[in-house]
Amino acid sequence: MSVVVPLLIPWFAGAAFALLDGRRRWVGWAAVGALAATFAATCALIALVGNEDGSTVAGDWPAGIGIELRADALGVLFAVISNGVLLSALVFEVARGVRSRLFPSLVLFLSAGMTGLFLTADIFNFYVFFELAMIAAYALAVYGDEARQLRAGFIFAIVNLLGSFLFLIGIAAIYHVTGTLEMTTAAERIAAVEPSAVILIAIAIFVAFGVKLGLFPFHFWLPTVYASATPGVAAMLSGAVANIGSYGILRFGPGILPAAVELGATVLIAIGTLSIIYGALQAISRRSSQEVLAYSAIGQAGYVLIAIGLGGPAGLTAAIVYAVVNSLNKALLFLATGVRGFLIGAAFAVGAFSVAGVPPSAGFFGKVELFRAGVVEDSVALVALIFLGGALSFVYMFQIYQHEFWGPSRRSGAESPAAVRAVAVALAAIVIAVGLWPEPLLAASREAAAVLGGGG
Amino acid sequence: MNLLLAATIGILFGSGAFLLMKPDLFRAVVGVVLVSNAANLTLMASGLGRGDSPIYPLAEGTVSDPLVQAMTITAVVIGFGVTALLLSLAYRVYATSRTVDLDELSHAEASHEEELEREEISI
Repeated sequence: MSVVVPLLIPWFAGAAFALLDGRRRWVGWAAVGALAATFAATCALIALVGNEDGSTVAGDWPAGIGIELRADALGVLFAVISNGVLLSALVFEVARGVRSRLFPSLVLFLSAGMTGLFLTADIFNFYVFFELAMIAAYALAVYGDEARQLRAGFIFAIVNLLGSFLFLIGIAAIYHVTGTLEMTTAAERIAAVEPSAVILIAIAIFVAFGVKLGLFPFHFWLPTVYASATPGVAAMLSGAVANIGSYGILRFGPGILPAAVELGATVLIAIGTLSIIYGALQAISRRSSQEVLAYSAIGQAGYVLIAIGLGGPAGLTAAIVYAVVNSLNKALLFLATGVRGFLIGAAFAVGAFSVAGVPPSAGFFGKVELFRAGVVEDSVALVALIFLGGALSFVYMFQIYQHEFWGPSRRSGAESPAAVRAVAVALAAIVIAVGLWPEPLLAASREAAAVLGGGG
Repeated sequence: MNLLLAATIGILFGSGAFLLMKPDLFRAVVGVVLVSNAANLTLMASGLGRGDSPIYPLAEGTVSDPLVQAMTITAVVIGFGVTALLLSLAYRVYATSRTVDLDELSHAEASHEEELEREEISI
C-alpha cells in the first residue's frame, strides 16, 4: 500500500458524492463507508512509518526535486485522530438525518485536505491541502443554513482567510531565504539564516495557526462559530480542524524554525497562559453548553501552546499527547450535548472528567505529561497554572453537566436514535480506554516528538 | 524593481486591511481579495530574478525561477475559489438577513443572545 491511498479514497469519494443527494439515507451511509475506508487506510500507515514505503515522490522525480508525501510518526498520529473524529461526527450526523445535499461530500473533502496536509513533506503543498480543508470547513460551518450560522460562518471565513494569506506570505519568505520548499531541507538551511528574518517568518506563521487554533488574541471568531454550528459540525471543527492549528505550530515551530521558538518561548507561554485563564473564566460565565465548550476550546489550546513553549522532548511529547486527548474530549463533549437518552449523561461526564484531568480518563495523562514537562523544566509557576486551569475546568464542566442533565427543562426531550447514542458512548469508551491503557498513545507521541527533535 | 514591488504589495495589503475594517460584507470580500493578491505578489517577489523564460529546451545562460510562478498560479486559482465561496456566503447572509451591514448583523446577534438570556431566566 502506498501513502497516496488514504488521500485518494476521500478525494474520489468526495467528488462522487458531490453528484448524489446526501439527504438520502443510503448515500449518507455510503459516505460513512468511504470515510471508514479512509480511516482504515490512515491506520494502515502506522505500519509504514519509518520504512521506505512510507514516502512517495510525485511523478517519479528524484527525491528532493519532486513533491514528497511522507508518513512520519507525527503526521500519521494526527491523521489517524482527525479522521477518527471526522468519522464519528459523520456517523452522528447521518444517523440524525442529513439536511443538506452536499454535507457528506464536504466531510470527505475535509478529510482529504486534512490527511494531505498531515502527510505532505512540502511546504507549499501543505498550503494547498490546508486551503482545501479550510474551504470545506467554511462550507460546513454554515451547515443548517440558519441566519445566525451564516453570520458566524462569514466571519469565520474572513478571519481564517486572512490567516491563510499571512501563512502564504510566510511560505514565500521561507522560500526566499532557503530556496527550497522541502521541509527537512528548509529546516537545515534555515539554521544558517540570520535570526531577525527568521523571527518575522515565525510570527507570520504563528499568527496564521494561532487563528486556526483560536488562541487568546485571535479567538474572537471562535465562540459564535462553535456555538451556532450543529453538534456534529462543532465536533468536526474543534476535534479535527483545530488539529491543523496544533499540527502547524508543531511542524513549523519546533520542526522548521526551532531557533525562533526558543527565542519566543516566553511569548508562547504568556499567550498560552492568557488563553487558559481567559478561556476558563469566560466558560464559567456562560450558560449555553456549546458556548461553554467553545471557550473551553480556547483554554485547552493554551495548554498545547505552553507545552510547545517549554520545548525539549518532554514538552513536545506533552503538547502532542494533549492535542490528541483534547480533540477526543471535544468531539465527545460536542456530540454528547446534541443527544438525549440512556447513558448519554455518563458519556458527557466522562468527557467532563477528561477535560478536568481526573483518572481514569485520557485527559489525566494529558495533564500528567504537562506536569512532567513543567517539572523537567523546573517551572513551579507552570505547575500551579495547570492545576488552577484544571480546577477551573472542573467548575465549568460540571456547571453545564448540571444544567444539561439535571435541569428540569432538558430532561423531557425525546430520546435520540440508538445509532446516535452509540457514537457518543463509543467515544466515551475510547476516552476511558486511552486513560486505562495510555502506553500506545504515549509511545506514539514520544516517537512523534522525536521527529521534531531531529529538526525535520 | 524591488522597491516598486514592495510598494505595490504594501499598498495592496494596506487597502485590503482598510476595507476589511469597513462594516460592509462586500467591502470585506474585496478586502480579502486585495490581501490575497498582496500574498500572491509576495510569492512572486520571493524568487524574482533576471533570466530567460524557463521553457525547454533551455536557453544558454540563466533562466528565471519557474517555481514561484507555478506557486503563484496555484495560489491565484485557490484565491478564485475562495472568492466565489465568500461571495456566495455573503449573498446567503444577505438573503436571510436582508442586510449587508455588519453593524446591523451584530445587532441581530446581540438580540439573539438577549433572547437566550431571557429564556434562561424564564426556566
